[in-house]
Amino acid sequence: MASTTVETREPDSEDPVVELRNASVTYDDGNSYVLDHVSMDVHRHEVIGVIGESGSGKSMLAESMLDSIPDPGVLRGQVRYNPSEGEPIDVLDLTTEELRQLRWEEISMVFQGAMSSFNPTMRVGKHFEETLSAHDADIDEGLAFARELLQDLYLEPDRVLNSYPHELSGGMQQRALIALSLVLEPELLVMDEPTAALDLLMQRSILRLLRELKEKYDLTMVFITHDLPLIAALADRLAIMYAFHPVEIGRTEEIVQNAAHPYTRALLNSTPNLDAPIEEMVPIPGSQPAPINVPDGCAYHPRCPLADEQCRSSKPDYVSVSDRHTSACYHWDDARDEIALNYSENLGDAARSGGDE
Amino acid sequence: MRYYAERVARSVLTVWAAVTLTFGILRLMPGGPLVQLRGQLSRRNMSPEEIENQIAVYRERLNLVDAPIHEQYIAYLSNLLQGDFGQSLKEGEPVLQLIGEALPWTVFVMTVATILIFAIAIVWGALTAYKEGSTFDKVSSVAGVLLGSIPFYVFAFILLLFLAYQNKFFPASGRMTPLTDVELTVGFIIDVLHHAALPIASVVVVQAGLQMLSMRGNSIQVLGEDYVRVARLRGLSDRRISTRYVARNAILPMYTGFLTLIGFNIGNSVILEQVFTYRGIGYVMFDALEVQDYSVLMGVFLVFTIVLVVAVLIADLTYSWVDPRVKSGDASEAY
Repeated sequence: MASTTVETREPDSEDPVVELRNASVTYDDGNSYVLDHVSMDVHRHEVIGVIGESGSGKSMLAESMLDSIPDPGVLRGQVRYNPSEGEPIDVLDLTTEELRQLRWEEISMVFQGAMSSFNPTMRVGKHFEETLSAHDADIDEGLAFARELLQDLYLEPDRVLNSYPHELSGGMQQRALIALSLVLEPELLVMDEPTAALDLLMQRSILRLLRELKEKYDLTMVFITHDLPLIAALADRLAIMYAFHPVEIGRTEEIVQNAAHPYTRALLNSTPNLDAPIEEMVPIPGSQPAPINVPDGCAYHPRCPLADEQCRSSKPDYVSVSDRHTSACYHWDDARDEIALNYSENLGDAARSGGDE
Repeated sequence: MRYYAERVARSVLTVWAAVTLTFGILRLMPGGPLVQLRGQLSRRNMSPEEIENQIAVYRERLNLVDAPIHEQYIAYLSNLLQGDFGQSLKEGEPVLQLIGEALPWTVFVMTVATILIFAIAIVWGALTAYKEGSTFDKVSSVAGVLLGSIPFYVFAFILLLFLAYQNKFFPASGRMTPLTDVELTVGFIIDVLHHAALPIASVVVVQAGLQMLSMRGNSIQVLGEDYVRVARLRGLSDRRISTRYVARNAILPMYTGFLTLIGFNIGNSVILEQVFTYRGIGYVMFDALEVQDYSVLMGVFLVFTIVLVVAVLIADLTYSWVDPRVKSGDASEAY
């Protein structure tokens, strides 16, 4: 597919950058889970899209990779980071200082609100300088690299670095923030809805730039979003979040064309697309559970047309549907027959060409 | 440039309006200076002839007191424009000289007090914000509201009672020990500070709490901003984040308040200096009020107005220097 053929290096499923094992985030003294025993790998040089509704725990998944869960949330389980050279690191065992160094140098993050990610009373260039000096990097070299990054993102380095944040447009701030997140050449870039506050055209153009950056710098990216068509154009794999854990993980084209979880299929059918007339868009009845009352068994069973006694009583394990495609559903095979997708098989292609503009 | 010119022009207009209003209101007070003085003189068993002579002197100093009000007003304004503020009623001293002698003391007390207020408020407010929800924070908030609800002159009496009369730590009145030589020596400065300590303390203690609460609110808001979170993830030191990120952005909204509070506090000196018998401009005004000394009252009011207007003007004109988001010309207006 378009995004994989032009890559310099293929994603390597045998070489995970980050391995989550039973990662959970709890609030209220451990009574409510906002990330529920997630085990998942991020492969080196891949873009993995994490998709879910608001409140499905996708931001928590992102934050857990940097161990930066906002207080008073507690992260448990194992988060292992494998640098390209050297020993694996257990992120949750790091001291404060080690964690400080890991963040941004190894694993970096872009937040949804670019407009609020810069100090309003400080020039953008100063943000780069202080980041470099906080990590004992060579300032001149770092700034030269920052200029290159800004140029790659079609910004004028001098103008951007000498501006105050409010002097830049939203799209420019978002791109400057991406450059800032890459200035220490991290191994992994976690992006939490980086395009949420931007208009559609800017979203697509940022996505195109990200693809270029990924190719040029061999990046690994975790891209959190609720916009399925947007990420389908960029991601190698998709993880679908429901009720605080991924219910299905697989290669993008597998998920889009042959999803094996009732929720994923319903989600796909509720997504606007050019192939299907608007009448065929089907909303999913009901709403996602809140952390305090997640249903027993499969969390999706109250909204699932295929739910039976087994679904209500016990929680399904991941089933390997095909190569590198897993689904947490007892009836994944039935789901493919029972829930027809309302679009032709080339949604993924359409989304990709949309992103290629 | 146009913005600067506009703001200056408007300040001048404000001063003129204040002068006119004050002029009118003073004339509305019942009696008038000559009636008051005649009463005072007759109580001293003076002969009617002597009284009339004395009154004639006062009448001369008051300049056109019997003329129609619009003539008095025009005469006052034209004198004012030539730098003539008139004479004081009793001593015949030029008003400008009277003010010039007293004003620096008031400015000294109130500027020091206001700077202290903000220094305390910024540190205290930032600490409570960092410790939000702790016992220290709760006690501080209650203390801030409690102190802020006490009028400063009531607190001044409490200080006087405990620190000046019951324990003689501080002098109860005066600007300096009588008969000291006015020269810039360490001893003199210490003496002046010793005398100013209680007036300053009574303003500071009462007002610092409220400013602390506003600093606390600002800091809590800034601490919740995404850019502070991102700064932490970028690995910046706590020290840099607390100064360059939190403090800088939390203090900004207080900048205008700081300058205008100096202005308002100069006005507060009328009561404060009465309590401490501190011969500043507020004391001069209170004296003048007792005999309805038009020229002195007008002069002091004029100074109060000008100080406040200038404070607001400086705040407006310089705000773009402290906050890059405000370009001069982007009509930033404190009031």
